[in-house]
Amino acid sequence: MAATDGERNHQTGKLEFSLDVPFPSSLEASIALRSLSPDREPRKGGISKHLAVTGSTLSVKWSADEARVLRVSVNSFLDHLTLVMETMQMFGPPVTQ
Amino acid sequence: MTVVIGFEGSANKIGIGIIKDGEVLSNPRRTYITPPGQGFMPSDTARHHRAVILTVLKEALEQAGLKPADIDCVAYTKGPGMGAPLVTVALVARTVAQLWGKPLLGVNHCIGHIEMGRLITQANNPIVLYVSGGNTQVIAYSERRYRIFGETIDIAVGNCLDRFARVIKISNDPSPGYNIEQMAKKGSQYVELPYAVKGMDVSFSGILSYIEDASHKMLSSGQCAAEDLCFSLQETVFSMLVEITERAMAHCGSQEVLIVGGVGCNMRLQEMMGVMCKERGAKLFATDEQFCIDNGAMIAQAGWEMFRSGQVTELEDSWITQRYRTDEVEVTWRD
Repeated sequence: MAATDGERNHQTGKLEFSLDVPFPSSLEASIALRSLSPDREPRKGGISKHLAVTGSTLSVKWSADEARVLRVSVNSFLDHLTLVMETMQMFGPPVTQ
Repeated sequence: MTVVIGFEGSANKIGIGIIKDGEVLSNPRRTYITPPGQGFMPSDTARHHRAVILTVLKEALEQAGLKPADIDCVAYTKGPGMGAPLVTVALVARTVAQLWGKPLLGVNHCIGHIEMGRLITQANNPIVLYVSGGNTQVIAYSERRYRIFGETIDIAVGNCLDRFARVIKISNDPSPGYNIEQMAKKGSQYVELPYAVKGMDVSFSGILSYIEDASHKMLSSGQCAAEDLCFSLQETVFSMLVEITERAMAHCGSQEVLIVGGVGCNMRLQEMMGVMCKERGAKLFATDEQFCIDNGAMIAQAGWEMFRSGQVTELEDSWITQRYRTDEVEVTWRD
């Protein structure tokens, strides 16, 4: 897992954070993406989060107005990610259709 | 043969149940219990659920003697409820549905209670009193909707009981309501409380404020005992619920009442409702704590009905929602 910390983008004036999570396969990375994507951020505005899969890596990018809001979102995402990865370890690997 | 696994975790209970054509194969559950005087907060409750959910899932499969391949559909609570706990449960449901290659189905929690009550009691077309820590509704089925005839205009009846339990520092183990019920049996003096029925609706927040205030004054001066207050609170709020249920029965011409939700396992409520039903020549249906209190099988059962009628939830539409009214769901599985 690799992360770059909250650096301020000088063009937009926003705090940015990005995270790369390696998975055993691209299928597992895609499952994680689809499990973690449906729920919207609880608060309106002030933060945006984008998830994408490249190969077997799940990449997440945040853009926020305040560090406090960014911290809450990243913290809760990491809790969710941990649960999804534990679920995969206990109840995987995925069946291939 | 259709096998559905149901995931529930909208409040302080986390449960996973498996249903095979009306038969409950397994239904393990854990409850997040807070110290006396404290309620359960969303983030702490979600942490509790995250810590135990995979163990509960393992138990559900083992007790049912099933492998993931035997399951036809993965149902989970879409709402209503607390956001953080709902997300926790939805995450695991989405992940296993994909790992196992099974369709996903988002279920309305209230519909889960109703369908589980109907399955267990075999009530055909009852007036439903749904009473819990988060919901208080009188419901009747008509034209493909569970229609809300009356409801609370502020807090749920169970929330009123839970918060009173916190005021007088009653244990939350196994539940505050259960402990109030036990104490109420020893109460003898009725303390008059406000009675707040407004048409078909009820209100509990004023009663709670009143009894909070009264308990501080009356208990310190020895005018009454905590047991008397428990007794008085139950008698008052349950009378209100029986009144609006009876009015809904008269309106619909119904001869059946089904009580569901966590407060529904209160024997005094069942007794009072039973008296009213007897007077009207109607039949009362209720279940015990196993199925009244939030559990996974109820989500599996509603999911079973929905799945058999052709519904599924696409992953991108599987977001949870804290507000989700009972009458928003089109009932595709009943005539």
